Amino acid sequence: MTKAGFTVRASQLRAIAWVRWRLFVNSLRSTRGKLNLVSRLIVSLGFAIIGLGGAVGMGTAAFFFVSEGKPGLLVALLWPILFFWQVFPIMATAFTNNPDSSDLLRFPLNYGSYFLVRLAYGAADPATALGTLWSFGILLGVGLARPKLLPWTWLVLLAFAAFNLVFMQMIFAWVERWLARRRTREIMGILFLLLLLSVQLIAPLSGYFTKRPRPEVRRFAELLIQGQKVLPPGLAARAIAQAAASQLRAAFNSLGLLCAFVLAIGYCLHVRLLEQYRGESLGETSATRVLPADRRLRLGWNLPGFAFPVAAVFEKEIRSLLRSGPMLLTLIMPIFMLIIFRFGPVNSVRQSGPAIPGHSPGLAFPAAAGFALLTLTNLVYNNFGGDGSGIQFFYACPVRFRDIVLGKNVTHASILAIETAVVWVAVVSLFGKPTINMIVATLTGLLFAATVNFSVGNVLSIYSPKKFDYSTFGRQRASQTTVLISMGVQLLVVGTAVSAFWIARRYGNSWVANLILLLLAVIALYAYRAVLRHIDRVAREHQEMLVAELCRA
Amino acid sequence: MDTASTICTQSLTRRFGEFVAVDGIDLRVSRGQFFGFLGPNGAGKSTTIKMLTGLLAPSSGRIEILGLDLAAHPVEVKQQIGVVPEGMALFGRLTGYEFLNFAGRMYGLDRETAARRTVELLDFMQLADQPKKLVTDYSHGMQKKLAMAAAVIHGPKVLFLDEPFEGVDAIAAGTLKAMLQGMIARGATIFLTSHVLEIVERLCSHVAIIHQGRLVAQGSLEELRAGVEAQTPVHGERLVLSGERLTLEQIFLRTVGGMRRTDQELSWLG
Repeated sequence: MTKAGFTVRASQLRAIAWVRWRLFVNSLRSTRGKLNLVSRLIVSLGFAIIGLGGAVGMGTAAFFFVSEGKPGLLVALLWPILFFWQVFPIMATAFTNNPDSSDLLRFPLNYGSYFLVRLAYGAADPATALGTLWSFGILLGVGLARPKLLPWTWLVLLAFAAFNLVFMQMIFAWVERWLARRRTREIMGILFLLLLLSVQLIAPLSGYFTKRPRPEVRRFAELLIQGQKVLPPGLAARAIAQAAASQLRAAFNSLGLLCAFVLAIGYCLHVRLLEQYRGESLGETSATRVLPADRRLRLGWNLPGFAFPVAAVFEKEIRSLLRSGPMLLTLIMPIFMLIIFRFGPVNSVRQSGPAIPGHSPGLAFPAAAGFALLTLTNLVYNNFGGDGSGIQFFYACPVRFRDIVLGKNVTHASILAIETAVVWVAVVSLFGKPTINMIVATLTGLLFAATVNFSVGNVLSIYSPKKFDYSTFGRQRASQTTVLISMGVQLLVVGTAVSAFWIARRYGNSWVANLILLLLAVIALYAYRAVLRHIDRVAREHQEMLVAELCRA
Repeated sequence: MDTASTICTQSLTRRFGEFVAVDGIDLRVSRGQFFGFLGPNGAGKSTTIKMLTGLLAPSSGRIEILGLDLAAHPVEVKQQIGVVPEGMALFGRLTGYEFLNFAGRMYGLDRETAARRTVELLDFMQLADQPKKLVTDYSHGMQKKLAMAAAVIHGPKVLFLDEPFEGVDAIAAGTLKAMLQGMIARGATIFLTSHVLEIVERLCSHVAIIHQGRLVAQGSLEELRAGVEAQTPVHGERLVLSGERLTLEQIFLRTVGGMRRTDQELSWLG
């Protein structure tokens, strides 16, 4: 490269660093930005504690492994580091759209600079910081146990860190490609959530296999242990162990293989980045299939007893929800929780500890039904969050807001009704049939709780809205104010229900609780009607704020 | 108020804190007019159109649409108007068919009529060949066409369009223009904002120009032309040669005081 070329390249990299800094400084102009900085500092402090604690732990373990003459066991430390380094960044992004670094491509940036910038973005990641810190802990542990091994361990861990850095960037480059499209983003989101949920099943499964040892499982485990030796953590641990045993040739071979992994993964990253550099389009609109024009007449839904607009909103809400994989998955959570409570690790407490709601056949139904309502609160307390700029349509069309809100509430009530029915079937199959008294108590309690939640939710949806995207999992929570008030409402509802049962117990008749809950439900229904009566005025008064918040890009 | 006007505003004002976005404007738009509402960036066009369609409450002043006070009869007014606002106001998780059908029913059409008009409009807008595609996956131009279809599905008497041709291809723009001219021929009134002055000049019979929140000109194109030609040209400005007509761009620049830079500036370019 000529000197002038190098100067231009260095100037470009400095400009990119400067613009990142200015973006950060400018973000502090708003209160939200300042609060974000404070929360980032708190999170960073947490990371620092985890990092230092982990480094001390890793260092101590490495010291013992090497002092005891078992440096091969270092692999038990390197695999968790690799796992964290690769998985944490994906979890942290929570499957939302990321800022596209390929925006830089409009400038005359050469490929080398682009590659470097991508690696630098990766190096500034918390996972890299923690992974490096923990590797450093291992280095110190090994160095303290066998000072002569220090330079070699440093070299091996450097190659291991380089592998992790390049591997993470490669995964990200591919994930970025998948996340660019709504459909693949949803599929990945669902797979990711299923992965997280399946972790809950590890304990029951391992318990199952411990009780019934099977030779094929043992053989599979042995195969895994042999296989991991030729993968980067295994190679790094072997390189150190072989050097400790003075098998220098074998140690060099292991390090060489590790470096080959770095190069191979680096090549895969290069292929992906080169595609981006050459102007690959990851937009939503590519590759659409043109079909013959559809001229079939399909009538909209009818909802007996409700006005046309209510039925139209109901249909719109149901159709939108049915197309949201993440939302649907959230709605089946109560069933999943029932299964986990029935077979999960908490099961062991059942014999000795106090009664857990999900374990007692009597309490399983109200607990699961209550949880079903809780999973709906994200929607109930942020009625318009998923409408985005569509909120303008509601204001522009000749329909009262009470009809729109009623349509949304009917949707949520229908989902709750279906969920309660499904939960009942699940409870009957997993725990046995609840008593009639408990079924009535649950249904009246649910009516009361749902009506209270709908009333407060309708008001908060207008007072404190927050835009969210049906197609993503992460950052879909309501505003902080809404979350706090919602928690208060849940405490109030649960407290009231418990009081009803306490009073019933005092009278020695459990049906008294049902009567009290029914009365409370009637009062809540009156409150709900009052909210609906005033919702048009509230919506009009908060029109600008609601539109501004939901139409925000 | 002028009861003969389809759209009539009186001292319409909108403040955002200290900033006055729209400052006491008096608009008069008669039935059957294709009315262009022009202004530089940040002049108050979108704020005005939002107030006229009930999407934003005025700070003061009065709006009458089709002789009805918008503040007193919002539902009645909205039943007779259609609007394509700045953000298009679409629901991304519906297909084009579902969205139009939904819009029709929200505007009070019965189920059969809503479904029939949905099919006709999708066909007309050339959106019928991707029936399963969600609105969120539509291109910008397709979304614009869909927003336009939703605005007319109930056959409005007055149509408000904020930058309707932005991002729309030439074929679709031709189709839309034909549809709008057909509406005008049948007696509808169209109120349109656009930065593309050639389109406004070709379509609109009447124009108003807003600048820094104030209405600085209003009338038919001929009236505006005559007004500007009567003004003394600023030093060194060549307004019109004999026999040439002033273009809308020239009228606009003269009215809002826009100055062309000299070609000595930025001489390093090209």
